[in-house]
Amino acid sequence: MYERILIPTDGSDVAESAVEHGIDIAETYGAEVHALYVLDLDAIDVSLGTEQVDRIRAGGFDEMPELQERARRATGHVADRGEERGLTVVESVVAGRPHAEIDGYAEKNDVDLIVMGSAGRGGVRRMLLGSVAERTLRETTTPVLVVDARED
Amino acid sequence: MIDPASIPAAVGTVVAQVEYTNALDPGFKLVPALTVVAMLALFLGVGWFFRVAAVDDLWVAGRSIGPIENGMAIGANWMSAASYLGVAALVATLGYFGLAYVVGWTTGYFILLIFMAAQFRRFGKYTAPDFVGDRFYSDTARGIAAFTTLAIAFVYAIGQGSGMGLMAEYILGVSFEVGVIVFMSVTIGYVALSGMLGATKNMAIQYTILIVAFLLGMYAVGWSQGWSTVMPYLEFGPETALIVEELDRQFIEPFASGSYYAWVALAFSLIFGTCGLPHVLVRFYTVDNERTARWSTVWGLFFICLLYLGTATYAVFGSILYEDPVQDTETAVTAGEATSFMGMPGADADALVVLTVQLADLPEWLVGLVAAGGVAAALATTAGLFISASSAAAHDIYTNLYKEDATQREQVIVGRVTIVAIGLLVMVIAIDPPALIGELVGMAFAIAACVFFPVFFLGLWWENATQEGAIAGMLTGIVISFGAILNATIPGYTDAIPGDAISPTVATVLPPTSSALIGVPLAFVVIVAVSLVTSDPPEDIKRLVRQCHSPKPMKRSESAEDVAADGGTPADD
Repeated sequence: MYERILIPTDGSDVAESAVEHGIDIAETYGAEVHALYVLDLDAIDVSLGTEQVDRIRAGGFDEMPELQERARRATGHVADRGEERGLTVVESVVAGRPHAEIDGYAEKNDVDLIVMGSAGRGGVRRMLLGSVAERTLRETTTPVLVVDARED
Repeated sequence: MIDPASIPAAVGTVVAQVEYTNALDPGFKLVPALTVVAMLALFLGVGWFFRVAAVDDLWVAGRSIGPIENGMAIGANWMSAASYLGVAALVATLGYFGLAYVVGWTTGYFILLIFMAAQFRRFGKYTAPDFVGDRFYSDTARGIAAFTTLAIAFVYAIGQGSGMGLMAEYILGVSFEVGVIVFMSVTIGYVALSGMLGATKNMAIQYTILIVAFLLGMYAVGWSQGWSTVMPYLEFGPETALIVEELDRQFIEPFASGSYYAWVALAFSLIFGTCGLPHVLVRFYTVDNERTARWSTVWGLFFICLLYLGTATYAVFGSILYEDPVQDTETAVTAGEATSFMGMPGADADALVVLTVQLADLPEWLVGLVAAGGVAAALATTAGLFISASSAAAHDIYTNLYKEDATQREQVIVGRVTIVAIGLLVMVIAIDPPALIGELVGMAFAIAACVFFPVFFLGLWWENATQEGAIAGMLTGIVISFGAILNATIPGYTDAIPGDAISPTVATVLPPTSSALIGVPLAFVVIVAVSLVTSDPPEDIKRLVRQCHSPKPMKRSESAEDVAADGGTPADD
């Protein structure tokens, strides 16, 4: 049923709250796990500057060790959890708008299930921050399991 | 219009006279308005197109940006409403003295080219406070640098808001205040929602629009008045002679509008301010290699000069037309409000470039295009400033100093809130600006020169500069530059202090736009002195600095940090 499971992560607690769920399903089905970090170009734009977006476009990611480190930490967390259970974990980093990139990656790699966390924000906070999970749901045709990070 | 001289005194006391406000045509203009809308749509369209185009493979070199395109981006980033509108205004109203702005705002790129462009490329980080924080291994230094970046963006952007208001007055026929609010809101929305507007591609387009608009106006005026043909840059000699002989001799008297000291201090501040502006430096971090960094600077300077050398031409053409308009319009001179063009009110002066084309009675679409170029100039620079402010807040302050593990989403929100907040603040101040556009921007330069230039320069070239030295130097710069600005602007906001400055003596020695002549050497002395008495920087920092200015070329893929971290000996050891 599930041969490839995609776990997108930005390294936050919210994203990592979904990791256990994803890994558990992967173990049950003997699936391959894909850990994906999306370099949010909007975030690069307002936090590092527009020039840095052009730099990434021009293939300059290899000379941006701080960004690589962040991405590696995020996907590494998934990889560690997966390897503890003896699963194959593929780590990937792409750049763009997170929801579009998650969908694009799922399409390209024949992913059968996306497992991701959501902060479950409401009201103004949702309007401001948006929900990557919500947008991914709307964008993709791949099944999505959304794990609500709120503990209640 | 009513000529005040022709009204009998008895009537004049009863009938309210039509007061002279400004010479720009009032009223909404369809074609110019459509030009601006089309221009904004183009920026947004290009921004959107490149925004959705994602990066497929991060590890494969994509299309890198060449020196010409980088040069155009430097030009668009650099040339704001202050260059496009303000410099001609200052040359017209201050005469020879105004040339300090032309000299100051071009020469700085030579210093950048020789001492800093390639060295910053080697350092290769992200923001200006990143350099200060990493080079001086201090979060305090990083914090001061981030605060200064915000202050520079704020002061600099006020001048842009002012320019936008004037252009909106002409194009949309609204009041100055409404104009500031409309165009500033558009800019804030653009930058907050798609800061990609500032991407290199768009900046090259913005440069093209602004330079075409500027030159088309200049050539058309020169041609239609029979003053110039193919090289208006060099052909306005007879017109200058006419001004000097018949209109106002002061125009070429070197220090009629300010002392020799003031001229030198201003030019000095502008030159070194150029080398300390965060939104200018960040481009050098990201170019493909050192060679591109250097050639981008050269091209940037060429593109900048295309406009700057034309400002004096505009000032001369505009001044003659202001005294004797071809178009049937009242100016301050014909209305008897001013004795010569040099006494024109601030609103007319700051709109002089557009006014020149209008007074020459050229078609409305052309006047509108020149005004649209002014909007493009203000918009491009404001976008760059807002992004430098948002990165100082989201990257340097929020992520590096406050919350190490901030997620990308949090950075987006902090960045956007900063843009909106600083934008609104700028809008409020720009509605009632404390000085002319050129002067406001001059103040931002004084801050950049006093606070940033010394730490950038010594940080790149002197390995023994310590964190204590850098912090002391930046604080010195802050006290001097902000002190000079507050000294001269606070009396404008309160009646409690009479006169133009809190202390006129201080204002003469430390003018708000020119405090760097004293501030920069003083900051250098403080940094050197404090560095000598504090313990040396760590060895890895020294290696990094040596690598940044090493004469040995580096490979594209290397950063100075990599080479230095390998423990390898830098080439000049």
